Formats: sequence, C-alpha cells, structure tokens
Amino acid sequence: MATDLMDRLKILADGAKYDVSCSSSGSSRANSNGGVGSAASTGICHTWTSDGRCVSLLKILMTNACIYDCAYCVNRRSNDTPRVALSPAEVAELTIGFYRRNCIEGLFLSTGVVRSPDYTMELLIQGVRTLREEYCFNGYIHLKLVPGADPLLVQQAGRWADRVSVNLELPTSASLQLLAPDKSRDAVVQPMRQVNRLITINRAERKQSRKVPRFAPAGQSTQLIVGASGESDRQIVILSEQLYQRLDLKRVYYSAFIPVNQDTRLPARPVATLKREHRLYQADWLLRYYGFSADELLDEARPNLDSELDPKTGWALRHIELFPVEINRVSYEELLRVPGVGVLSAQRIIRARRQGHLGLDDLIRLGVVMKRARYFVTARGRSLEATTLDSSSLRSRLIDRTTILKPQQLSLDFSSTADDEIRSLITGEL
Amino acid sequence: MPASYRYDGSLAGLLTLYARLLAEPVEVERISATQLDQQSLFSSEISISTDQAVAEEFWQRLTKRLTDNSLKLLRRCLLADHPQQELLLYRYLLLEAEQGRRIDAMLAHPQVAPVWKLARQVGREAHRYLGFVRFQQVQGGLYYAVIRPDHRVLLLIGDHFAERFSDQQWLIHDQRHGEGILYDAGKKEWLLLPMELHEQPEATPQEAQFQQLWRCYFSTLAIPERRNLRLQQGKVPLKVRVCLTEFGRTVSAAD
Repeated sequence: MATDLMDRLKILADGAKYDVSCSSSGSSRANSNGGVGSAASTGICHTWTSDGRCVSLLKILMTNACIYDCAYCVNRRSNDTPRVALSPAEVAELTIGFYRRNCIEGLFLSTGVVRSPDYTMELLIQGVRTLREEYCFNGYIHLKLVPGADPLLVQQAGRWADRVSVNLELPTSASLQLLAPDKSRDAVVQPMRQVNRLITINRAERKQSRKVPRFAPAGQSTQLIVGASGESDRQIVILSEQLYQRLDLKRVYYSAFIPVNQDTRLPARPVATLKREHRLYQADWLLRYYGFSADELLDEARPNLDSELDPKTGWALRHIELFPVEINRVSYEELLRVPGVGVLSAQRIIRARRQGHLGLDDLIRLGVVMKRARYFVTARGRSLEATTLDSSSLRSRLIDRTTILKPQQLSLDFSSTADDEIRSLITGEL
Repeated sequence: MPASYRYDGSLAGLLTLYARLLAEPVEVERISATQLDQQSLFSSEISISTDQAVAEEFWQRLTKRLTDNSLKLLRRCLLADHPQQELLLYRYLLLEAEQGRRIDAMLAHPQVAPVWKLARQVGREAHRYLGFVRFQQVQGGLYYAVIRPDHRVLLLIGDHFAERFSDQQWLIHDQRHGEGILYDAGKKEWLLLPMELHEQPEATPQEAQFQQLWRCYFSTLAIPERRNLRLQQGKVPLKVRVCLTEFGRTVSAAD
C-alpha cells in the first residue's frame, strides 16, 4: 500500500515538475477557524532541489492521464508511460501530512485532462474543498484551471484557492496551433479574462462587506515555454506587459524549453535557453518594479535581449547621455534606472540622504552594486571614474565583469531574501 | 584610554553595563561576555556586576525613547550570535544618545551600518527558519524539530508556528544554543526554555512513512537538465542540511 502510494507520488510529481511556478506569496490567511495552517504574504521557501529551484508547495498532478497530445508535454496521450491518479482524499491527506511536518507552505495542484475538462476540474475542486472544509486547512493553495472548463467551475475554484492559473504555454496562437492542436487560444484566454473579472468584482464587494468570501486573493499567474517555438524576446516581453496591464496578472513565468519528447515539430537541441530565460526574468522584473516599458527594452531593430548584458545595463548604455546622475539629487524613479541600484538600495538612498549628503563610500554600505553603478553615478559631484567613457568602451568593461559569473538560473522565488515586511511590500506580489 | 569591559553574559548584565557606560560616555575597546568567576588574563578588564533594578530601569527608558525601527534593530541584535555585537550596539546607542530619532535614517553612518547589517542577518536567518524547521512526530503525538541556526532565532519565529500549528503539540529545539520553544496546544501559548537532549525521541511508524514519501518527492522534483548544485548550496548551506529530512536526516523509528 505504502509503496504503491510512493510510486504514484513519484510519477505525479515527475509530471508536475515542469511547471515552474512555486511561489506561495501574495496571500495572507489567518488561522481563524481553529484548524491548521496560515499563509504568509511574503511566501516561504522550505527547501531547494538540486536544480536550485525553491520548494514551497507540494506540486503534484491529480492524474497524469491526458486526452490531449501536446508536442512539448511529458504527459501527452501518445507517450507510452504508466498512468496513475490520486483520489481527492489522498491529495488532501498527503498535503496535510507534509504540512504538519513543515515541509511545505501548501499545495500546487495540476492535472492531465481526463474524460472532459469539466470532469477534471470537478476532481480538482473536490480535492481542494476537502482540504479547506474537512481539514480546516488555511495554508496556501495554487490551483490549475483546466482550459475549456465551465465558467461556473472556474468560479468555484477561486473560492477555495489562493491563486489560480491557466498556462498560455506558447506566446502566439500560431505556435499553440502547431504544438498543442487540441487547445485553442480562446479556451486558454477565456478563463483568464473571467478570473480577472471575478477578482475585480470580488475586491469591490469586499470593500462593502468583509463577510464576502475571497476570490483567489493571490491573483492569477501563467506560464510560457521559451524556445520551443520561433517567437522573439520582443514578442514575449510585449505579451507579458499586456498580461500585467490588461489582465492584472501577478506573475508570468518563463520556462526554458527542455525536450522531453521526440517530435519533428520541436527544435531538437534548443540553444542556451536557460540564459534566455534568465534575461526574460530580468526584463520581467524591470516591467513590474522598475517602471520600464517593453518598448524601452526592445524594438524591431533589436528584437532579442542581449545575452551578454542585463537589460537594464543595456538600456543605460543606449541612453548614456542621461548619465552620470548625482545620487543626492535624482528622483526615486531615476535612481531605479541606474544599473547596480535595486529597489531596496534605491529606497535606502532616499531615506539616508535626508540626513545629509551621501558619498561614494556610503553607497557601498547601502547595498549598491558599485561594479556596475560606478560608471553611472556621481556623489557630491565626484565620480569613481577619472574620465567619462563612451558607451562602446563601457560595454566591453561591463561585459568582462558580467561574464566571469557563470550563467545561473534566476531563483524563481525571491521571498527567500525577504527580511521583513517592507521587502514584501516592494517586491512581493500583493 | 579605551577600556575593556566584562559582564556575566545575561541580558540584565548587558543592560546594566550599557546603563553605566552611557551615563558617562567613555571610549570602549572591547566588551566580553564571560562568567565573572572565570579569571581574565587581562587585568585591565573592568567587570560590571549585574544589577537587576538598574537594568530594568534602563530598559524602560530605552523602549520609551527609541523608535519602533530602532527597537526592532536592537531586539534582533540582542539575539545575534556575533563576537562583537555588544560593542557594536554600544556604539549605536552612543550615537543615539547624541542624535535621537534622527539615527533612524542614518543608514550609512559607520556606527549604524554594522548594527543594521547584523540585524538584517538575524532577521533573514529567522525568515529562512520559517522554512527550515522539520517536525517529526514522536511517540505521544508531539511534533519535534531540531535546528542549529547561527543566531538565536527562536524568539522571532515562535509566533509564526504558534499560529500555523495552533492545534498541534510541538517543540522546536535549538541545539546550538541549548534552548527550545515548547508550544502548549491547550493553553495556546509557547515558552522559551533552556533545553538539553538526553536521548533521541522515538518517532512513530507513520512518521517513517512520511519521511520516505517526502524524500522520494524531493528527489523526483529536480529537473536533471537544469542541475545547478552551486545555486542549491547557496540556498541550503551544508550546515543546515543536517536537520532537514530531505537531505538524509534519518528517522529514529522503533522498527
């Protein structure tokens, strides 16, 4: 019995692991009903796997059986793999068992599609509902919406979950058509629009009365596979910008394409996708926290992000006429645009300079990365550089410094470094 | 001439020392925490003996005067495990006596920056330990966890676990500092106590099963093509792993 459960857990975790989302932030749930659990708005990472990704939620599939045959997916119909399932009760039991041992923040429940989207969605809801109602579970729940499921079921899903998501998978409908012929773009986007609408309505209702139950308090997210189809970075970043602006998504995840199937429609050996994924995340952060727009980062002449430079440094080099800036005078928004200055250090600079002018030494103590910032700032009129450099010689200096570092996967959940509430307010997904 | 001071290592002792030193600010070279009965090799060291009343009065005054921010900083630094924390804090308090509330924004000041950095380290470690605690269910239904943090983070994480696991009996044992938090699910309160482990508690059979499941899940979750052990080690340092189920801490079940 136990080994059977272990085997199924292994297969179902294996099928879910390509979903990169693991954040547990953005929802704060008190343990008010005498049950178990709470959700911290900063999110908490519990451990990290050997690929450096954080483990925050128990990420599993309800079943890996699927009626669809998407080219990139490890669970596609035409793959000859053992198909197993967990019952809603088993999902709840496993979650509680791990949760009580403090292994996880909650559950991330996804699934292959069995029989019909509606039937599958009902199974998921049943599992989550058992957790909330029978176990009085107040921990974090991320629930996948099954494309094509009835809008009423989507509404129920958001009632029990903290966050819901539908994966866009591919940036354009053309590639979706090619690689996932059973899914239509409409079936994916429709529930996203509905969720956005329901969240807006719910927020307004809860302003009137706190008794209205919450609907997906941690919002919705989505995921794009990068490198399986021919889209440029520009297409992807513009898409993300629209998702953030129009559908108010909390996060767009990018997943470097890893070939798990032999398929002529897919690139056999994708090149440097991890590096590309990393740059896309940097661009994504610039959109969300640094006030950049997609147009500033990429244009038709340069449709892809520079692999040798981070996008902010790249932008600064193209606008070298704006630099250097005087650290004691520039606005917060301008500070954010200086390479080597992050959200936290910009806030610290603003706070610290109220008590007197800052010198270059002070910047180091405030956490500014001087190896990049040194070329772009002055403090009390002084610069670390004797002469002003033009952008091409600057570029070669900055590249030399950045390529020493091995390309690394950006850690997908930044809550690990959250050291207090302030941090969560600025970087957290509220 | 800067002098060296010594106190008995207790909080009251340290506060007594601060009260005395700040009354007539002097230059201090070293503050060490040693039992007063241990003879020091350095005869120049001045021993300050603990005075409960002085300490309490000083603390009262301090908490009234400091901003919430400074107080938070102070609390975290007091929980730090750093060879110079007493001295760093003294220098901070010295500046505070001079500057008052303005000290809040003086982040880059040489007397503030190190204290602030230390407080951040403590806070960050406390946050990490919200995730790095692994309970195992032992005979009698108690959930028992061992941690070995650099700083004394227990006081900073107690409330979080008390809320989250309010219906279960649990204990978090900081073996490095010899103390632990015991939560009483009946009274809904927790207590920090000095603690020592004499024998390994016996885990329930169900516990062994969950630990196996968790290890199996954890090893399945990694994507081989993305393997990055350096990143992993930066996130989960080896010293933390001894207390984590998924890195092979073995269960002490009866069978």
